[in-house]
Amino acid sequence: MTPPVSAPVIHDVNTLPSGDNVNPYAFSVDVQGQWFLQKGKMIAYYGQLSFDGVGHGRFDRLLAGSFHSPMHAADWVVAEGSGKMLLADRSFDINSYDLDDGNLTIRSGNLLAYEPGLALKQSIIPGFLTLIGTGKFVAASNGPVIFAEPPIRVDPEALVGWADCPSPCHHYDHQYLRGVLGGVRRLTGLGGASGEEHQYEFVGAGTVLLQSSEQVMAARPTGATPGQQGVPRQRGGVGGLLDM
Amino acid sequence: MADFTLQGSKVLAVRMGGDSVKAKNGAMVAYDGQMAFKRLSGGGEGIRGMVTRRLAGESMTMMEVKGTGTCYFADRASEINLVQLGGEKLWVEASNLLCTDGGLRTGTAFTGLRGASQGNGLFTTTLEGAGTAAIMSDGPAVVLRVAPGMPLTVDPGAYVAHTGNLTQQFQSGVNFRTVIGEGGGEAFQIRFEGDGLVYVQPSERNTIGGDV
Repeated sequence: MTPPVSAPVIHDVNTLPSGDNVNPYAFSVDVQGQWFLQKGKMIAYYGQLSFDGVGHGRFDRLLAGSFHSPMHAADWVVAEGSGKMLLADRSFDINSYDLDDGNLTIRSGNLLAYEPGLALKQSIIPGFLTLIGTGKFVAASNGPVIFAEPPIRVDPEALVGWADCPSPCHHYDHQYLRGVLGGVRRLTGLGGASGEEHQYEFVGAGTVLLQSSEQVMAARPTGATPGQQGVPRQRGGVGGLLDM
Repeated sequence: MADFTLQGSKVLAVRMGGDSVKAKNGAMVAYDGQMAFKRLSGGGEGIRGMVTRRLAGESMTMMEVKGTGTCYFADRASEINLVQLGGEKLWVEASNLLCTDGGLRTGTAFTGLRGASQGNGLFTTTLEGAGTAAIMSDGPAVVLRVAPGMPLTVDPGAYVAHTGNLTQQFQSGVNFRTVIGEGGGEAFQIRFEGDGLVYVQPSERNTIGGDV
């Protein structure tokens, strides 16, 4: 006997959670004041909200405190007013994280929205953004997020972000690449690569966030960092560190 | 009446005892029992419906499935949502419609600028009558209630369907900032007022207004 058709859950402005998931793919934010969000991630809202680019002159003071990523300015908007707002991104898994006087670095394409209590800064690693302060932010991942502790080596495409620990370094499987088989493959291209000759290595104390897929979320090319000595250059593309 | 159940969230099982359902052409993945699949020209709306659909550009290729047994439907692993209709009307994009009770009447309706901003054309499909409809969405749909004094604003790319007595108002926030690339990112919105339910998906189609 098959079960009867179950009635879907119907939400309204009062039953929608505030600051929690509606389902694994949609997140409800209770906006009272201002929130930063990436363009196009709002799917619906109740109440009175307005959306303005961060370049809007009114936001000068807000930006001075909470937004320090001029290269990403074109992707971000400020939602202002009061109401409940639903966020979603290509039906990827959505999670919220609370930072308490902490710091977290995340791939720019994965970050959906954050509270102005946090300050968004560009990481020195191209394609990544660092959030510093106290507050809530919402991020997407392809598949649920896995939390891991350093020391750990991770696949570049599976990396979502990291908190508290020092920024990663590159790790190459030197022995394999120098060995006879690996060397021949590398020089001739015969036999192909396993695709796992290169990882990011994390050391120190902290948490590393991984997604259960190697699909990198599209981030818009953000132009180059200021041409200055000692500043790593970004050569465009979505991979961030991959391009270096 | 045909009995609709979901197997997981991406496969629809319909048990039939000699009655019929309308389904998206080619969406059958398996069946047991005796089934006949008949392509419905113009969505089974007769000559008048065919002409209307052709004129409206809201093409819908449906088939009539009739027989005894269980028929399974799925389409590109989309999430399937069941909607029970008790005489009211459901507005849905033809591309999001998977299967309906044979007794539901289908038709076309003018949507105005909302459809244009979605890139779906100016018309949408309506379903009317008593029975079950299965609609598809990219990710499980969230059902949001609209009541008097509780209007809802929806991104056109996330809109899937709606029922009830709703008025739609197309809002455009396009201004000089949009032109210089400083737009709010949510320039096109649909505002629903009245009394009814709106189905939104946790994803956005590529819309004409999507990047503004």
